[in-house]
Amino acid sequence: MRVAPQPNVEEAARAAAGPWQLAWRRLRRNRAALAFGVLFVLILLVSLAAPIWADNVAHTGPNSTHTLQKLEVDGEKREVVNPSGRPIGPQWFEAGGRFFVGADGRLGRDEMVRLMYGGRTSLLVGFSAALLTTLLATLLGLLAGYYRGWTDALISRAMDVIWAFPVILLAIALGLALAVGGLKIGPLELSGSSIWIPILIIGAVFVPYMARPIRGEVLSLREKEFVEAAEAQGAGPLRVMFGELLPNLASTIIVFFTLGVANAMLLESMLSFLGVGVQAPNTSWGTMVGSGFQLITSAPLLTVLPGTLLLLTVLSINVFGDGLRDALDPRSKLRLELHAGAAEPEGTAV
Amino acid sequence: MRKFGPVALALALAAAVALTACGGSGGKEGGTLTGSYASFPDYLDPQLSYTQEGWTAMFDTYLPLLTYKRVNGAEGSKVVPGLAESLPKISSDGKTYTLTLRKGLKYSDGTPVKASDFTTTVERLFKINSPGSFYYESIVGAEKFAKTKQGGISGIKTDDKSGKIEIELTAPHGSFTNELAMLFVAPLPPGTPAKNLTADPPPATGPYAISKVETGRSWSYVRNPYWAKDNGPQVSEVPAGHFNKIELKVVRNDATQVNEIERNKTMWMQTLVPSDQREAIVDKYEGTQFRVEHPLNIYMFWMNTEKAPFDDPKVRQAVNYAVDTDALERIYAGSMAAAHQILPQGMPGYEALDLYPHNMAKAKELLAEANPSDRDITVWTDNESPNDEAGTYYQDVLDKLGFNAKLKTINADNYYTIIGNEKTPDLDTGWLAYFADYPNPNAFFQPLLSGESIAPTGNTNFARIDEPDLNEKIAKLSEEPLGSQQESEYAELDRSFMELAPAVPYGTNTTSTFVDNQINLESVVYNPAYGHSLASFELK
Repeated sequence: MRVAPQPNVEEAARAAAGPWQLAWRRLRRNRAALAFGVLFVLILLVSLAAPIWADNVAHTGPNSTHTLQKLEVDGEKREVVNPSGRPIGPQWFEAGGRFFVGADGRLGRDEMVRLMYGGRTSLLVGFSAALLTTLLATLLGLLAGYYRGWTDALISRAMDVIWAFPVILLAIALGLALAVGGLKIGPLELSGSSIWIPILIIGAVFVPYMARPIRGEVLSLREKEFVEAAEAQGAGPLRVMFGELLPNLASTIIVFFTLGVANAMLLESMLSFLGVGVQAPNTSWGTMVGSGFQLITSAPLLTVLPGTLLLLTVLSINVFGDGLRDALDPRSKLRLELHAGAAEPEGTAV
Repeated sequence: MRKFGPVALALALAAAVALTACGGSGGKEGGTLTGSYASFPDYLDPQLSYTQEGWTAMFDTYLPLLTYKRVNGAEGSKVVPGLAESLPKISSDGKTYTLTLRKGLKYSDGTPVKASDFTTTVERLFKINSPGSFYYESIVGAEKFAKTKQGGISGIKTDDKSGKIEIELTAPHGSFTNELAMLFVAPLPPGTPAKNLTADPPPATGPYAISKVETGRSWSYVRNPYWAKDNGPQVSEVPAGHFNKIELKVVRNDATQVNEIERNKTMWMQTLVPSDQREAIVDKYEGTQFRVEHPLNIYMFWMNTEKAPFDDPKVRQAVNYAVDTDALERIYAGSMAAAHQILPQGMPGYEALDLYPHNMAKAKELLAEANPSDRDITVWTDNESPNDEAGTYYQDVLDKLGFNAKLKTINADNYYTIIGNEKTPDLDTGWLAYFADYPNPNAFFQPLLSGESIAPTGNTNFARIDEPDLNEKIAKLSEEPLGSQQESEYAELDRSFMELAPAVPYGTNTTSTFVDNQINLESVVYNPAYGHSLASFELK
C-alpha cells in the first residue's frame, strides 16, 4: 500500500522555532558540551556546599589551624602535622570526614574544606572578572563602533595601550602596586587583601581582548538595514545601541563571557601562584597550588588536587563555551567544517 | 727492638710542629674541598658583602684586627685578636681604642701588612658607600669623610713602625670591639681600587685566598702562600685549613644540593636542607653528616604600643599567652627552636626565660579584663614560606582570642621598608625576623626596643616602644664594653621588656651543617654570625 507523503514535522517545527530554541536544540545534540556542562555544574554545586561540609562534616573553617592537634582514629593518635612539618594524608571517612583528603601543610588546615572554599573563590573571581570584562568591553565596543570618528580613535588607542602589555605582566604589576595600599577611587575603597582587587585587575586587563571584536561587529551591524530603519523612525543613539545593536550581539557576548570565565580563572590562579592574586588567608585553587608546590615531593596531592579541579573547571567551561558558540552561531561551525573539507548546508549541519 | 735516633726524633718533632701549625687534628691533609651555595654571594668583596653567604665565603680569607674563635658553641661568640696582637686597650672614657698590629704579616700577594692599611681600608669603606659603613661613623672625622670622601679620617692614627693603631670615637661605644671584628674593616693593601672587586677579589690575609671567580656560578680558593710562614704562626685562633683548594659553586635547587652530597659529588652545602627532606636527612645522617646550627636571630610578632588595642600592656600580655611557640616551632618544621624572650640562645647575656607559657584561658581572661574597644587589627607578614604561614597562624590565634584580624602579606623584598614607614596605614601588629650582625646583646636591644630607634622611615623599633627608664639602661649599656656585669644587666633588661610585652618572641631560626661521608663533621666549625669556617673542614 502506498502511503501518501506526510509533511516533514521536524522541519515545520524548526521553521516555527525561535533562534534561542534552535540554539538549545543544537546544544542538546552536542554530547561533549553537555557532559562538560554537567561536570561544571557539579563542581559549582560542590563548591557552593563548602559551608555545609565545613560545619557538619569537617567541623572546622577554611582558615582554622590545627598544627599541634592529634586525630584519634580507631584508638590510634595521628598528628595532623608531624614534627618535620609533614601534613597528615587523606583520612577519607576514617576520622568521620575530618581531613578527608588530608591537611594543607604546616598549619594543619583541612584540605577538603579549603578546596571547597577555594573553588568558591576561584569561581567568584572567574565569574565576576568575566562579568566586569563583558560589561566594560560591550560598552566600549558599542561606543567605538557606533560613533566611530574620534570616539573610536580614543577608545581604540586606549585599548592599544593596554594591549601593548602582556596580560600576565600587566596583571602582576597592578597586583603588586595594589597589594599594599589597596585601591581608593572616590567612594570605592578596597584594602590590598580584598578579593575584589584581583577581580578588578583581571576584569580590566582582558577588556581589549573582548572590546575589539565587539567593536568590529558593531561597525558591521550599524550598516545594516534594520539600523537605518530604526534611525529613520527617529531612534536616538542610545536606543539604537542598546535596543537594536545589543540584542544582535548577544550570542557573541555570551560566548565571550563563558570563555572569559575560564581565562579569568586561569589568570587568577597564575597571579595567586605568584602571590599577587588572592591574598592569604583567603584561599583559591591558585593559592593552593602555590602553597602545595612547596611540598610537592612529600605531599603531591596538595598540588595535584587543586590543579586538577582547576583544569577540569577550565576545561569544562571551555568545551561548554565552544558548544555554546556552535549552537548560537552555526555559521562558525560551517566555516570550520569547510576548512576541514566537509561542508554541509546549514540546515543539515545542525 | 729498634730505637729512634736523634734525627728521627727531630723529624717527628718537626712533623708534630707542622701539624700543629696547620691546625691538624688527625685528619688527612690536602685535596680539594667542594661545596655548593643556593645563590652566588652578594659580593666577594669584604667591604661590600652584607649577607651571611658572603661572610661565610670570606670568613677565613680576610682577617680583621679582631676576630672570633673558630670553635662551636658559646666560645665561638668570643672576640679574640686577629691581625692585632691583643684585644684593644680602651681608654677610661671609653672613646679611644688602641691596638697593635702583629709583626711580619703579609697579604697573599706578598705585600707586607702595615698599620696604615687600616686607615685606607676604613676610607675605602666610605668611598665605595659600603652598606656596613654606618658602623664606623662613630669614629671622629668619619662622618665628614663619608660626605666629602677626602681629607682623611682624623680619628684614626697609625704608626707603621710600631704597628700601633689608635681609634678615637665621638662617644663611648661598647660594641665597637665587635665592630672591629667585622669583615668590613679587614685590612686590604693600600691602593685597593674603590670599586666592587667581586670578579677579582683583593689579596687575602687569612689562610685561604680567592683565586678564581666566575660571577654568578662558582669561585675557588687556594692556600695563602704567606699563611704558613708569616701569618699563621701568629694568628693561632684561626686554623690553617686542611685542604689545598676549595671549590664552591652555585646549585640553585636545594634538593639537588642534597643529592650531590649523597652521591659524593660535593662535600658540603652552605644552604639549609630543604624542609621536605629534613626528616629523612635527620633520620639517616644526624650526628654523622648532619647537625643543627644556631645563628643569632630572633623571630617575633611585634605589637604597636602606640595604637589601640596594643597600647594596653594587658592586651599584649594576653597575646603572649595565646601564641603557642611549640606550634610555631612545628610550622618552621625543624628550622626553628622555640623561645619566648628577646635574647637568643648563644648570645652573651642570655638567661632562659618564659613569662608567658601557652595558656589560652589565661589569655582570654586578661583580654576580658582589658576589654579593648578596638578589635579590628591588621597583621603584617612577608610572603616567604614559612613566615607567611607564621603570620596566618598568628592571625588565626588573634581571631580565636576575640579580635577581628586581617592578614596583609607583603613581598619580602620590600617588607621592612613598608612596615618601617610610619605613613603605612594600619601598622597594628606583624611578623619580624631580626638577625644580629655580631654577638652583642646591644645589637638586639638598641635597634628593636630603644625609643631612640623610632624613626618616620626605616624604623626598626616596630613595636614603637619608648620607655624612658629602659631607654636609659640601653644607652648606658651601649657605652660599656661587654663583661659579666653587663651580661647580667642585659639579662635583666630582657626580663623587663618581656614584662611589658611589646612583642611575642617565638623562636630562633636554626640552620644546618650537611656534609658528605668523607668529611669529619666534628671538625666543622659554625660561627653564629659568620657561618661555617671553611678552614675547619677536614677529611675523616
